[in-house]
Amino acid sequence: MGSPLKKIMLCSSEKEIFSVEEQVMVQHSVIINNMIEDGSYNYEESKIPLDCVDSKTLKKVIDYCTYHTHHHNDNQEDLEAWDAQFLNVDSNGLYDLLMAANYLEIRNLLDLIYRTIKNMIKGKKIDEIRRILNIKDHGFTPEEEEQNRKEYPHFY
Amino acid sequence: MEEEEKKYKSIDDILPPDLIHRILLKAPAKHLASLRCVSKLWYSLISDPQFVEFHFQYSPAVTNTFIFIAKGCVSCFVDLDALLNENNDALQVKRVSPPFKMKSPPDFEVLGSCRGFVLLRGRENFLVLWNPLTGSSKGISYSRIASRCKNKGYWILREFLVYGFGYDASQDDYLLVVACHDKHGQAHFNCLSLKTNSFIYFDAAPPKPLGFYNWNPRGCSLTALFIGCLPIFKITGMLFFDLKERTFSMISAPEQMLISACRSPGLALLGGCLAFYYGNLDSIITDIWVMKEYKVHSSWILCQIPCFGFRPLCLTSDMNLIGKANGVYTESLLPLPSDIKDKDEKEEEQGHQFLHEFFELLDVAKGSHYEGFKQGKNTSEQLDTWRKTFEKCR
Repeated sequence: MGSPLKKIMLCSSEKEIFSVEEQVMVQHSVIINNMIEDGSYNYEESKIPLDCVDSKTLKKVIDYCTYHTHHHNDNQEDLEAWDAQFLNVDSNGLYDLLMAANYLEIRNLLDLIYRTIKNMIKGKKIDEIRRILNIKDHGFTPEEEEQNRKEYPHFY
Repeated sequence: MEEEEKKYKSIDDILPPDLIHRILLKAPAKHLASLRCVSKLWYSLISDPQFVEFHFQYSPAVTNTFIFIAKGCVSCFVDLDALLNENNDALQVKRVSPPFKMKSPPDFEVLGSCRGFVLLRGRENFLVLWNPLTGSSKGISYSRIASRCKNKGYWILREFLVYGFGYDASQDDYLLVVACHDKHGQAHFNCLSLKTNSFIYFDAAPPKPLGFYNWNPRGCSLTALFIGCLPIFKITGMLFFDLKERTFSMISAPEQMLISACRSPGLALLGGCLAFYYGNLDSIITDIWVMKEYKVHSSWILCQIPCFGFRPLCLTSDMNLIGKANGVYTESLLPLPSDIKDKDEKEEEQGHQFLHEFFELLDVAKGSHYEGFKQGKNTSEQLDTWRKTFEKCR
């Protein structure tokens, strides 16, 4: 584990550099924790390139990790309220966050996003789910689609 | 703003299938049936047998979902956990169409359930395996059992003394074990593999003596192990059939159990633990013995419910004990063993009327639960005992 004062550099896909407290990322990201632990990160020179994470998303990820590091003693309700506010983004933003959380292996953020998506589609009709998730091309042939609609009218 | 003009992308285009896979794994089985129709990609992900298997393993061990059959004309499955937590999800109660004609009184009964399948016995001599979630069902051959039975004809399957239905993970097979009397009054065990739809020979003899009088126990499954029955005239223990080893074993009943005062005994799984219950005639209460650690004799714990004839169903996630009804059921989308599919014509669901009906049904379930605890002097103490018992178990 690194000391709380140390900073590490993260580099977004736009080559923008973010400086973050090491402790914050180590606590949340399995990948970064591994890098620090096995000594492959050089504090003087390295920056961690995150080619598939854009600056906007990386900033959000860092916000999440920072908040949860400093507020982990807050009561559950407050944290949940903060999480809900944090994920108040459009669907593209949510997918970007999911990809980033997956890439960096931030398990609690992943779980949070999975839960959020699950709740977005819970109990919804198929047409609604498609609208929410922007599925315009569902991939079924018109015949298959018609067949499904006939067979399970209550799903639509 | 620029962002608002940005075209929203489809989840299927952005996320790699393995992430969608992981989202779908979190969805409850009952939602998956409809989620399959969302897109072709989802359809193929959800229809993948490996996904189904994984989903079953991954989902919380027990969903307290039950099948209620009212007056022979309505059957529905009810997620008691969701309902009692007032989770306003329309799917917590769902009407299902069993592969039998609905009439009053019901033409069939539930023998047991395992991994999302329900084993039903029709009055007219047949056994049917049914997945309520997908609506598929399959008839099971039982002619060999019938040929060994004492009585021929209409009520043959009434002659089943004990039966159990379980899953053998090592062979990926479902086993149905039944015992019945032959012409000479001798009890025989038969084990049917549902994968091959044929009988399995096993030479394991049940421990003797077996008395089966007035006893109609229900089998239930506990992970890979099958709890066959209580071979009981005088209750001395419980008979188990190990699905993997295909052998019988006994677990003796708690010593303190009142044999003389025991009425209508039964087996249940409560919070993942084997429980044995009976009406206690001496004090007109229901005794429930819970085996905290499977096959550890010293772990029997007695819980008493101040209500006679209480049949425990399940322990909900918030430690409420719910009692009284038929059959235990876990949801899954697993395909039937040899994949014989029979699509039932689904009745049009009439939402409102239906809702009304099942809430009436549920009052029964809820009522007996509260009744159970209200009648006693030490209600809160009792509840505490239960909580403690089960918190330890978990």
